[in-house]
Formats: sequence, structure tokens, C-alpha cells
Amino acid sequence: MSVWRAAAAVLGLMLMASPQARAHVASNGFLSVQVQGAQLSGAIELALRDVELAIGVDANRDGRVTWGELRASQPQLMQYVAQHLSIGAQGSDCPISFQSLQVNQRVDGNYAWLPFVAHCPQSVRQLSIRYSLMDDIDPSHRGLLTLTDGAIAQSGVLGGDAVPALFTVDAPSPARALVQYLQAGIWHIWSGIDHLLFLFSLLLPAVLLRHNGRWEPVARVRPAFISILKVVTAFTLAHSITLSLAALDVVRLPSRLTESVIAASIVVAALNNIFPLVTESRARIAFAFGLLHGFGFASVLADMGLPHGARLVSLLGFNLGIETGQLAVVLAVMPIIYGLRTGAIYRRTLMPWGSALIAAVALVWLVQRAFLPTG
Amino acid sequence: MTRLTTTLLGASLRGALLLGLGSTGLAWSTPHLPDSDAQVLAELPVGARHQSAPARELTRTRLDVALPLAQFYVARSRASGDLRYLGYAEALLAPWVRRTPVPPPVLVLEATILQSRHAFDAALQQLDLALQAQPDNAQAWLTRATVLRVQGRYADATSACAHLAGKADAAITALCQQSISGLNGHLGPAYAAVVSLPRQPLDAEARAWRCSELGEMAERLGDDVAAEHWFGEGLQLAPEDVYMRAAYADLLLRHARAAETLRLLTGYESMEPMLLRIVIARQLLGGSQGADSRASLAAAFDVEQQRGEAVHRREQARFLLDVEQQPAAALAAAQDNWRVQREPDDALILLRSAQAAHQPAAAAPVLLYLQQQRLEDVRLEPYRRALR
Repeated sequence: MSVWRAAAAVLGLMLMASPQARAHVASNGFLSVQVQGAQLSGAIELALRDVELAIGVDANRDGRVTWGELRASQPQLMQYVAQHLSIGAQGSDCPISFQSLQVNQRVDGNYAWLPFVAHCPQSVRQLSIRYSLMDDIDPSHRGLLTLTDGAIAQSGVLGGDAVPALFTVDAPSPARALVQYLQAGIWHIWSGIDHLLFLFSLLLPAVLLRHNGRWEPVARVRPAFISILKVVTAFTLAHSITLSLAALDVVRLPSRLTESVIAASIVVAALNNIFPLVTESRARIAFAFGLLHGFGFASVLADMGLPHGARLVSLLGFNLGIETGQLAVVLAVMPIIYGLRTGAIYRRTLMPWGSALIAAVALVWLVQRAFLPTG
Repeated sequence: MTRLTTTLLGASLRGALLLGLGSTGLAWSTPHLPDSDAQVLAELPVGARHQSAPARELTRTRLDVALPLAQFYVARSRASGDLRYLGYAEALLAPWVRRTPVPPPVLVLEATILQSRHAFDAALQQLDLALQAQPDNAQAWLTRATVLRVQGRYADATSACAHLAGKADAAITALCQQSISGLNGHLGPAYAAVVSLPRQPLDAEARAWRCSELGEMAERLGDDVAAEHWFGEGLQLAPEDVYMRAAYADLLLRHARAAETLRLLTGYESMEPMLLRIVIARQLLGGSQGADSRASLAAAFDVEQQRGEAVHRREQARFLLDVEQQPAAALAAAQDNWRVQREPDDALILLRSAQAAHQPAAAAPVLLYLQQQRLEDVRLEPYRRALR
């Protein structure tokens, strides 16, 4: 055993045990790449333990890596990654430029998260990735790749091989694009609470009638249903128009403006339930503001990107997804509010105070979006 | 854009990606800037330090430096369950593996690494090369016997043990042979033979090995009291033997002794196989505090699967069966695992999954195998009867 002690001394190994309570996994790097035409953006993530082995970040050698130490090693890390990771499109190199380092937590601890952009000489059809990070330190290290073109994603395992890995970023089949963007649209409605709140504000009074300055429950299902149908159809029609115009680059609005106006639309719609000005034609409000919500959806889609060769079908899928998600919410809410409409609680408490709450939340968003610095 | 909107957009994009990938199960979190320079982001474990160029040059030119260090890493991996150490050892051996001829000790250590990665056939190839160069290499024969035994090739394993005669201590040779004979139709006599093995000539490591074998044999004989005694004694001799600790935990779990299981595994949370048993024990106690561990296990198995590796396939099958309650998925993982390794525990998880998934046909090849090998194990009996 004395031989390895000598060896350990030579190599300056520290034989200090440190308690660790995280799951051990094999060494993995995580590479995400988003393709947008000839532009690539993404991030490479390496476990801090791997970063230490590769370039040595623990400057004071106390067995701990601090943010200060990691930040100080940023240039070396960028240099190391640049030497061991290169991306090309159809055989020509896409030079990578790094942005500033951040930290990301995963199951087995913190990772250095290094975002980058790369510019390929031409629109990407076939991506080649040469990945040799850690190969001389831990040959079992692998890079787990997530490659996305719009909402179309593929994954791959990189490393352990001398030849670059090739990935085809071809036009997806229309059916696949439709399904993927449909899912993305549904998900956006579920997670994009501002659109739901707007819709709620318009739906709350749909089971009531304004009569002599008082709210009264509608007598039958039919008028309630028609009222809801009108609101939802108007909203859908309006946002579909602007979503398509914006997604196809016909019209563009600054996102700060659309986001602010979307917040304002919720405030107005909610306040209208408490101090009714428009009681008969809420569908018009829905249409007018729906036009703006469409621009909001479009900015999500712009972030996601539309795959080349399947732009229209993807747009259609995303739109259908939004409608599906929206319809699901309406179908869930409608019977509940219809059932509750005759009770005084609905008219005196739920409607006004619910609307007030929605208005308050939206007002905060409005202030944030319109007046606070973007960040 | 405001932070909220950014978060919402992020959330929807992530959702889109997850849906798009059919959920690769990667644990998503958000990259961030730490609050202060002093914030500690990682504690580095033993031996995980950047090495200077001269130090690395030394490992490339001096086998007497590279080999002991690689052995140290393999030992660390075994004691900590940390697979990264295997990679460090491989990197140290890489320049030596490229030489011709490869020094036999390098081949044997390389085989040990491959065995730990469950690349059993590749491990046997390295051992064959080592034994061609050094037919008297006892370590190589012993490792060969171990690999063949895990593969369920008992006849070959027995003959590997026989080659130890005259090269290793007689007690080691006997332990090697009896442990395989105990899997191959002679459980009772093998157990008696190992119990009466003289202990004096064995070093602490071999004594712990003896206890581990005795514990497993006693369990298969149905004598859990004796098994517990052997595991307890073995863990006193070799507290770092995680394989034996896991076996002991399984015995406790079979008797629903969850609190004792948790005590036994305190401090071993970072190892996937141990964490799995902790989660099962917590489940038995009816606690809901296991959600984090459960997610962490699921993520770790997913990443392994994405890498196309099967190091913890047996554990994954058990996770799917006992924790996630997905018998069909558990059965698929257990069948995958059975193609690679065939220890009694591998048979057990497959039979249990087949029964839970109501697919007795899936158990047929295993039942046939057990019959052919005359493997005795009371733990398997109820499933053998039910699935026949």
C-alpha cells in the first residue's frame, strides 16, 4: 500500500473524505442546441467535479469549489470547452462564442452552465458535433445532447468516439410537426396563466344577466351557452388572426407593448365585472383584446421557432393546441359556474371579489411589464 | 420582457421540449447566478483533483505510479458506489492498454473495471489475455470465476476456481469452489463446508467474503436468523462492503423491518442501490418524505438509460416494481437485466415482476434455467410454484 501513498503524494491527492449525500451517476455533460436557420444557440453543462479535474478551479485547494473560484476560472473553462467541442453544419465549421457562465443544479450536484451562440455559414441541414470533453480524464464521460429545431426535439449521446456525431435537422414530417406543436400549444395555455385569467374574467358574468343595475342568473342553459360560445369564438378568432400574422412575420409589435396591453386587458375585463360598462357585447371586448393576446402567443412561438419546411403546419398545430387547451378549461368551468349562478354567493361574493383579485394580480403585471426595467 | 413572462415562457418551452422528447426525464432546473463569491457550490471528493501536467506525465511513463493509483480509484468506486472513479482508473490505464504487450496486471485491473460496468464478456476477454501471459495469476483466475458466476456459467466458474489450487491459499480455493457449488445443486453441503473452513489463513477481506457467502447461502436455505448473524459479522470486518450491506438490507426488508433498514443504510444515501432500499423502507413506514429521493432515483435511472448503460438495471426493475408500481415496465427491465446477469437476485426480480404483471410466460425461460442449474433458493419458491 505504501506505493500508492507515494503516488498519491506525488500527485498531490488530498485524502480528505467529504460527506456527500447526492445520487452518484456516471459523468455526464449536458449539451443543448437549438437550431434556427443558420443560427445555433445552446448551453453546455459540466459537473463542477469534472470542471475541477479538467482545468482546476479549487484555487485554495480546500476541497470546496466556491462561486468566486469558478467565476475566476471562466476564461480557462471557455478555452477548454472550445478545444473539446466543435459544431459544424454540412461540413463547415460554426464558430462558437460563449456567454457568461451560470450555475445549474442537477441530481448529482451543481453544474457549470455555459451558454453559447454559434453562426453557421448556411442554414443547418446536417449538424456535426465533435465532443471530446473529459476524454483523457474520464473516458466514460458522455455528452447527452438535446437538439431542438422549433418544438421538434431529438436526443443523442456524444463522446467516446473519435469521429464527430452527425444529426439530421431535416424538415420534419407534417404529421409530426402538427402533433408536437399541438402539444406545445396546449401546454402554453396551461402554463400561461394570464390568458386563462382573461378568459375567466369574461366567463364569470356569462351565466348572469344585467337587469336594472343588478346581476341576475340566466334562466336556462341555452343563453348561458350561447353567451360563452360567443366570447370564446371571438377570442379565438381574434388571436388566431394576429398569431398567424405575427408568426409569418407580416406584423410585428414590441413584446413589451403586447405584454403590457395583455395585462391591461385583464384589468379592464375584470373591472368590467365589478363596475359594468359593457354588459351585452362582451364578445367585442373578447375580440378586441384577443387580437393582442395573439401577439403574446406569437412571441412564445417566436422563442420556440418554427421548423423550416413545416412552418404552416406547425403554426396550425400550435394554434389548435391553444384552442384545445382553452376549450378544456371552458368545458371544466362552464358547468361549475352554471350550477353556482343562482346562489347569492356567486353574484355577491365570487363574481365581484374574484374579479377584484384577478384585476389586482393583472395590475401588478401591468406595472411590472410597462414600467419596470426588463430583465 | 418581465421576469414572470420569461419564467412562463421558459416553463412552456420546457413543457414543449419534455412533451416533444416524450420526456427524457432529465431533471430540469433553472440556471442561475449564485448570490455571493463565497457560496460553496461543490465539495470535492477524495482524489477528484486537477492534476498538473508533470504529474500526469508521470502516470504515463511509470507503471508503478499509474497502477496503484488506478487500483486506489477502483477500490474507492467499490466502497463509495461512485462510478466516476472507474473512469479515472480507465484514464490512467489507457496509455498502458495501448501498448503491446499489455502488462498483465493492467489487463486484470481493466477486467475488474469492465466487470464493475457489467461488461462481462469484455472483462473475460481481458482476463484471457492476462492468463495467456501469466497462467499462474491467481487474481485473474479469481476474477474470472466471479464474472462467470455472475453470468450464471457455473461449470466454467468451477473450473476457474480449480485453477486457483496451488496458486492461492487452499481456503480461498475452497471458498471459491463451494460458493459456486452452493448455487449448483449442493447448497446444504456447500454451506456446511464453508462454515467449517479454517479462518486462520484468511485475511480480513477474505473473512468478510466468507461471511457474505455464508449469509447468502443461509438466506437461500431459509435460515434468516443465521443469515443475519453472518451479515452482521461480515459488516464488522468490512463495513465498506456495499454489496453485503445491500444484501443485509434486503433481508431486513423481506421481514418488513423498515426502521432497522434505515439505520443500516444511514450515510449511504448517495449510492443508487442503497437509496432505492431507503425509499422502499420509507414506503413501508408509510412516510411521504421520500418524494425527493424517488425523483432523484428516477432521474438517475433515466440518465443511465439515455447513456445506453445497464449498470443498475436490476435496481431499476426493482424501483419500477416496488416504488413506481409499474409491473410491466419492471418486467421489461428485469428481462433486460437477465440477459446480462443471472444471480439469484436477478431471477427473483424477474419472477416477482412476471407475477405482478400477470405474464407467467415471461418467467418460463428463467424457471427452466433454475431447474437446469438446480439452483436452490427458498425466496424463489413461492414464485416458482405460482408461475409454473
